[in-house]
Amino acid sequence: MKEFQPIAARPAPIKTVGFTAWLRDNLFSTIPNAVVTLSVIALLAYYLPLIFDWAFWSANFTGTTEDACVKEGACWVFINAWSYQFFYGTYPVEEVWRINLTLVLLVMVIAASFTLPKSIRLKASITSWLLLPVVGIAILDGRLLGLEVVSTDLWGGFTLNVFMAAASIIVAFPFSFLWALGRRSEMPFIRSVSVIFIEFFRGVPVLSLFFMGSVMLPLFFAEGTNVDKLIRVWLVLIFFMSGYMAEVFRGGFQAVPSGQYEAADSIGLSYWQKILLIILPQVIKVSMPNILATFVMLFKNTTFLLIIGIPEVVQTLQTALSNSYWLGGHALEGYLFVFLVFWGSCFSMSVLARRIERQMNTDKRD
Amino acid sequence: MTATNSAADSQDVIVIENLNKWYGNFHVLRDINLHVKKGERIVICGPSGSGKSTTIRCINRLEEFQEGSLVVDGVEMIEDVKNIEKIRRDVGMVFQHFNLFPHLTILENLTLGPIWVQKKPKAEAEEIAMKYLERVKIPDQADKYPGQLSGGQQQRVAIARSLCMNPNIMLFDEPTSALDPEMIKEVLDVMVELAEEGMTMICVTHEMGFAKKVADRVIFMDAGQIVEENEPNEFFNNPQNERTKLFLSQILGH
Repeated sequence: MKEFQPIAARPAPIKTVGFTAWLRDNLFSTIPNAVVTLSVIALLAYYLPLIFDWAFWSANFTGTTEDACVKEGACWVFINAWSYQFFYGTYPVEEVWRINLTLVLLVMVIAASFTLPKSIRLKASITSWLLLPVVGIAILDGRLLGLEVVSTDLWGGFTLNVFMAAASIIVAFPFSFLWALGRRSEMPFIRSVSVIFIEFFRGVPVLSLFFMGSVMLPLFFAEGTNVDKLIRVWLVLIFFMSGYMAEVFRGGFQAVPSGQYEAADSIGLSYWQKILLIILPQVIKVSMPNILATFVMLFKNTTFLLIIGIPEVVQTLQTALSNSYWLGGHALEGYLFVFLVFWGSCFSMSVLARRIERQMNTDKRD
Repeated sequence: MTATNSAADSQDVIVIENLNKWYGNFHVLRDINLHVKKGERIVICGPSGSGKSTTIRCINRLEEFQEGSLVVDGVEMIEDVKNIEKIRRDVGMVFQHFNLFPHLTILENLTLGPIWVQKKPKAEAEEIAMKYLERVKIPDQADKYPGQLSGGQQQRVAIARSLCMNPNIMLFDEPTSALDPEMIKEVLDVMVELAEEGMTMICVTHEMGFAKKVADRVIFMDAGQIVEENEPNEFFNNPQNERTKLFLSQILGH
């Protein structure tokens, strides 16, 4: 009888791998493609030096006043002089360690969610995430900890954008999960309430929600009660975010095969054990890209808070641009700065999310 | 607890009487009567859509039914969550598509039930899990994820997962239908071993070799009803019903 002889694996032909093959496949595959490639190179060659000249070689870096900007390039002195306000708003300088501490806590909680030993990771990170908004507000406000009270009127700058977005998503996350569950519920009352809630907050522009939060919401409170403006806006962001995320989760729920529910039922898990131990982790896994997209949207939407006069980073920038000592027209530098700060944050979140996705991907054979 | 029907043998662990089920207006199960004794091995076969899977899914209440009575281990299946969860603890089920939990390792898949449902300490649950993984001959895969295993291995893990709950009855819903031909044997071997140890088993399967080897009774279903039931020799060699003959000639004729 013949014996089965496997053929040894050979390397791929040289024409299909390597740099030149990549160039040919991607940039010069057809004549129109080659033309496009060459024109893009020409455009870059013309404009890049101009941009670099403006941003670096002819730019002004040192100094503290507008008079220091003598060269014709960018006036980075403007950013430098206002950087404290851009980041921290009008928070008192001697108390600014409290903002930094809150930021450090935020970073630590994020890091802990990845690096803690697997046995305690889930419990520890969920607890710390849920505690974070409370602890953060206590530190920033100071009242509960016996620190000097810093009124929310003084909070501002880019850190306010970060805190508003983070505090909203943390609270919105469990809520949106419940809304999504409610929308799938077989009980008509729960289902219709969920549908109405979700569709309302998805169907209304976030700007009008902010106006409602700042102008209309106080009308519903009892006379004499004065709920802080930031808290009202926080509520609006939570509702808005949970409406969107509920739909994200709904998509995730639909992606979990019914066999998972049946298997969980067949070993006798209760409803909530089934949802929390079996279904939720899989829902989060498939929803991860959309959760991030929703969060990035919310984060960028926090700049709309300037409309209702909350001194977040863009509002602070506009204050700086209209300052009588800085009337030389620094809008380009200012908006470029805001652009870079947001882009940097959102890009790092993408990187982080990709890491989470990789960590959660258990399908690959190794 | 409700007393079992007087007509039933006291040894019966499953008593199904006049079971009827509808999906909307569609009558899927029609007057099903089935008594299963402790330790009995039953194979259910029949064309697709005949109600085989639906029948066994009624036994652990993955499906509800509208008429008739179903008593499992002396507990009548009624609209009562406590009874349903008790039954589900006593009845293990193995699915066609394994339905392992993809986000948990093999070991975590196995210990989930013992830890959360039976409230066993983690160490004890892991000990039990390893015992059953050894029985299905894949203890070395304990720390892998289901996606890293072959179909046959996944199905053996699924069997081990059910066994970890220490069930009195095992239900198999076409356990080999989604497997590559070369992997069917390793799963059947585990099932045969289980049968030889005296587990009460109801298997929906078209593995006729398995039926001949281990079944005490073979049941043939079509159009939502039981057409014929007999011990395997009689069933295969001397079917009483024309429909059964036709079915057997189709599946054994090539």
